[in-house]
Amino acid sequence: MLAGIDLFIIIAYFAGMMILGYYFKRFVGNSEDYFLGGRTLPFWAIGMSVVVSDIGAMDFVGVSGQAYRFGVSVGNFDWIGSVPAMLLAAFIFIPYFWRGGMYTIPEYLGKRYNRSVRTIASLTWITFFAVDLGVLFWATAVLLNVLMGWPVWLSILLTAGVVGFYTYFGGITAVVMTDVVQLIIMFVGGFTLVFLGFHAVGGWDAMVTKIHSMGPEYQQHFHLIQPSDTKSPFPWTGILFGLTFVMANAYMIGNQTIVQRCLTAKNEWHAKASMIFGASLKMLIPVLVMFPGLMAIILHPGLTDGDKALPLMIKNILPPGLVGLMFSAFFAGMMSSVDSLLNSTATLFTKDIYEPYIKKGATDKHYLHVGKITTLILLILGVITSPISSKYPGIYVAVQTFLSYFQGPLFSILLLGIFWKKTTQWGGLSGLIIGIGVAVILNTFKGRFFTIQDPFLYVSWWSFVTGFIVTFIVSLFTSPYPDKKLVGLVYNLTVKKSNP
Amino acid sequence: MLNFDWLSGISQNMAKWIFLGLFILIGILVLFIPNDYIFQGVKKQDRHWYMNLKLWAIIVLGMLFYTYYIF
Repeated sequence: MLAGIDLFIIIAYFAGMMILGYYFKRFVGNSEDYFLGGRTLPFWAIGMSVVVSDIGAMDFVGVSGQAYRFGVSVGNFDWIGSVPAMLLAAFIFIPYFWRGGMYTIPEYLGKRYNRSVRTIASLTWITFFAVDLGVLFWATAVLLNVLMGWPVWLSILLTAGVVGFYTYFGGITAVVMTDVVQLIIMFVGGFTLVFLGFHAVGGWDAMVTKIHSMGPEYQQHFHLIQPSDTKSPFPWTGILFGLTFVMANAYMIGNQTIVQRCLTAKNEWHAKASMIFGASLKMLIPVLVMFPGLMAIILHPGLTDGDKALPLMIKNILPPGLVGLMFSAFFAGMMSSVDSLLNSTATLFTKDIYEPYIKKGATDKHYLHVGKITTLILLILGVITSPISSKYPGIYVAVQTFLSYFQGPLFSILLLGIFWKKTTQWGGLSGLIIGIGVAVILNTFKGRFFTIQDPFLYVSWWSFVTGFIVTFIVSLFTSPYPDKKLVGLVYNLTVKKSNP
Repeated sequence: MLNFDWLSGISQNMAKWIFLGLFILIGILVLFIPNDYIFQGVKKQDRHWYMNLKLWAIIVLGMLFYTYYIF
């Protein structure tokens, strides 16, 4: 149970978030303010928001657990699995979307390919985000129930109430600015635990020596690059081809929650700078979420479930007061993920589904109202559907698997669409559909095709390759749009136009 | 084929240098980005050396290189 000071810190945190979020209501006058912050936000706020949205409370526990089992190789996801992709996004893709005045990634795909590609991409993201919302609520609330003894419904309703309040009124500006505070809380709480943990194990060198002396199964624990025949899910071939070349880029360039933040930047320099600043913060994330798992190997050896490593560390290392701060960091992780899902799904629905299909040519006030109502409906749906997760415990993994089907093919058509003007609408549509089909087949029969237990990195690579080849071949046999229609949508045509 | 068995002859240390080489390659490519493109959206008189995003990117890549070098 929590001490009085811990409860005070958590309650103060929730109250602070509501007040801060509500403050930004005054900046919302039209739909551009609500969805893109009026394009006035600075790089540091966007960069911090991009990073904190990517870490949930589940990641704190899950990554620590994986570090306990597999060692530092889990850090690949935040290091090589984020930084190069964020640089590519910063220098090529983000300025592109920012200059085009886009609201959503599917909006770009609709202009470059056709309405079908836009709708498939948009509906896929909306479905994923909406399902993820309920799953996220439940999984995090169960985690907090185990850690703090709080009733599951209290965590869900409290978080939904606070997040819903500031996201409904303040739009993306409130989301980004509350994320800034949430990242600071997360860093202070997390780094305090790491600092005290190092003190308990006797420092870095002592930790490495002790872990290496614990047996042959720990010899690879401090190698980021794992052999290609490793039993862990992170062989270097999968990390290089599946993660670095495909999943990381698909996530940083094709994920609405990430890209939408960068589109709120006050100018093109700030849009680029936000991603690079975010990349520098990303370098610190594994220290925060991975190191407690490594320390637990010494302090709590022999755990059968690695996910218990972090809760035990918090219980045994942090004094009262700091426990409250650490749990506030967990709530921060949950809230920053939920507010991103809410705002991005509302944007996708309003811009890609409602505006083109349901009510064309309405007033801006009307679309602002639709965005707000969608946010509210999504929140209520997320809360109501969250108990479904308890009946289907594998749903969290299933949702993530569903996304991995889609990311490789999506990245292939984004890449070809931007860099090759002869890519046709039918090439893009075929590449997307057949690529997703191949991913489903490979994943369904993974026992026949792959030697490692969880080959999601390989599946993303081969579905990307399929999408790329199919798009290329179909484009060769179908007629492309005239150059005039592609100005601003294809790289070399845009460069020519902006630098005459 | 699907498991990249054809790369199983590459040792762990060689694989590490493939990653490090990739970071160096990205760094070299970053250096070739024109300054005008980097500073797009910033008035000429407001451009300062510390706002050069190539410098930021090289620092981040340096951090990444060092991390993969020591692990």
